[in-house]
Amino acid sequence: MTTSARSRNNILRPFDVMFEQFGKCCQLIGQCLILLCRTIGYILRGDIDKTETWRQCYRIGVQSWFVVAITALFTGFAMSLQISRELVMFGADTAIGGVVSLALVREIGPITAGIMVAGRVGSSVAAELTTMMITEQIDALKVMRVDPVQFLVVPRFVAAMLMMPALSVYAMALGLIAGIIIAYTAANVPVATFLDSVKQTILDRDFGTHFLKAWLNAIIIIIVSCAIGLRTRGGAEDVGIATTRTIVWAMTLLFIFNYLVTAVTYAPR
Amino acid sequence: MVRQRQTSLTRDGSIEPMVEVRNLEKWFGEKRILKDVSFDVYPGEILGLVGKSGCGKSTILKILCGLLQADSGSVSMHSEEVGLVFQGSALLNSYTVKQNLAIALRRRKLNKKDEERIIYEKLELVGLRGLEDSYPTQLSGGQQKRTSFARAIVNDPKIIFYDEPTTGLDPVISTVIEDYMNDLEGRLNAASIVVTHQLSTWTRTADRIILLHDGEIKWEGDPEGAMISENPYIKQFAYAKREGPLLDSAV
Ligand SMILES: Nc1ncnc2c1ncn2[C@@H]1O[C@H](COP(=O)(O)OP(=O)(O)OP(=O)(O)O)[C@@H](O)[C@H]1O
Ligand SMILES: [Mg+2]
Repeated sequence: MTTSARSRNNILRPFDVMFEQFGKCCQLIGQCLILLCRTIGYILRGDIDKTETWRQCYRIGVQSWFVVAITALFTGFAMSLQISRELVMFGADTAIGGVVSLALVREIGPITAGIMVAGRVGSSVAAELTTMMITEQIDALKVMRVDPVQFLVVPRFVAAMLMMPALSVYAMALGLIAGIIIAYTAANVPVATFLDSVKQTILDRDFGTHFLKAWLNAIIIIIVSCAIGLRTRGGAEDVGIATTRTIVWAMTLLFIFNYLVTAVTYAPR
Repeated sequence: MVRQRQTSLTRDGSIEPMVEVRNLEKWFGEKRILKDVSFDVYPGEILGLVGKSGCGKSTILKILCGLLQADSGSVSMHSEEVGLVFQGSALLNSYTVKQNLAIALRRRKLNKKDEERIIYEKLELVGLRGLEDSYPTQLSGGQQKRTSFARAIVNDPKIIFYDEPTTGLDPVISTVIEDYMNDLEGRLNAASIVVTHQLSTWTRTADRIILLHDGEIKWEGDPEGAMISENPYIKQFAYAKREGPLLDSAV
């Protein structure tokens, strides 16, 4: 069947297509869960290649620090400006630091770092593994009786678990700097007042949530990109498809799970 | 042209085959690539697997290595230690030549010194000393092939599959590789399958040839027999003729 004939048929049968897509979603989720279990199994057995993990830490950190910095700064600027505006109207200038930092620690820090890492690292891991798949490098590993999960997924997973919290804290810190700048220039709030307000508002629990989200984001990004990479077969165009699919899936799951953590930890009682 | 070896004794039935393949069938979607393929490979024997491009030779090797699942039939291999030289080299691109070989040695958990010794010995053999710290993308096609060869034999496997081991190599290195294939076979008493289109390779290495066509074995015999056989398939193949049954069912 030609492509145009197929898409014509698809238009006539939208439910079939939706059903098929739903099936594919379930399949991918299943593959992700299996991959996650196997990865954790290796980690529990202590089967971790340290040199490779170090290499991946370097890669995740180096690939992401700049984009995370830029996005965190500008998100911080925009958010602080909006918050300052509103709070100044209510005469609550001294609370700017607290509100800005709450948003950063609880929500903006982890999600900004998560999205940027998904874009940079998730896509490159998916492209890398897909390429290895179609050039038979993964097959070569299997013939050498090296498990691709242990060899490729575990180091990336551990590295992401180590680097993601660091990047989230980094995003948060830069967002805070942006907040200080805006509060000082746009609302005349001195740095000391800003920081006082931060100290009074932020609780230890907020950092707990922050790290929980960071780790969850790391798991989502690595497992989704590796699961998609390791199941792709075919030719060069599939590298692009796998990359795009990884970004869409990882980001969607990132938003869903970050909200779920928020819902569980901060729901009004 | 064909070497003498004591292993011609091995087919008297008293020796167990290393690889037993029975009634393999393999479909790719609607296409039935393998219909009914059965053969044995004995220790100390090199089996040449020939057939026109796309007839399923690489597919057979992948099934034997467990990389593909056959739709029916059975495969039994009497050694864990298997080496495969991939048609397309399949080197790990983000690792150097040396690291590629080290990965194959990983599970033996050798100390650094032994590991290095083995790696250098194999690299010496394929003439790649001095390139051990290069990345695969910095190598020529032939150098990649030789690295892939070194990697496949680094564990001295008892069963070795070569998918086009000499294609794209110059005649001198081809001879070195062929000699080494023969040497491994003699020294380790390994059972090997070599897939090749290169006449020199199958005449110099193979003890026995099977010709695959339309998913079935159409001819079996030794390399000298291939040159004098009246079987239309092997005759066309050995003399590289246009006329004959091999092109009739062209897709
Ligand atoms: N993953 C796959 N999906 C669908 N068809 C495939 C797949 N792999 C191989 N084929 C088909 O199976 C047939 C046999 O492929 P195979 O690679 O085994 O051929 P070959 O005998 O090794 O050929 P060559 O001498 O060119 O290497 C080909 O027609 C190919 O199109
Ligand atoms: Mg082939």
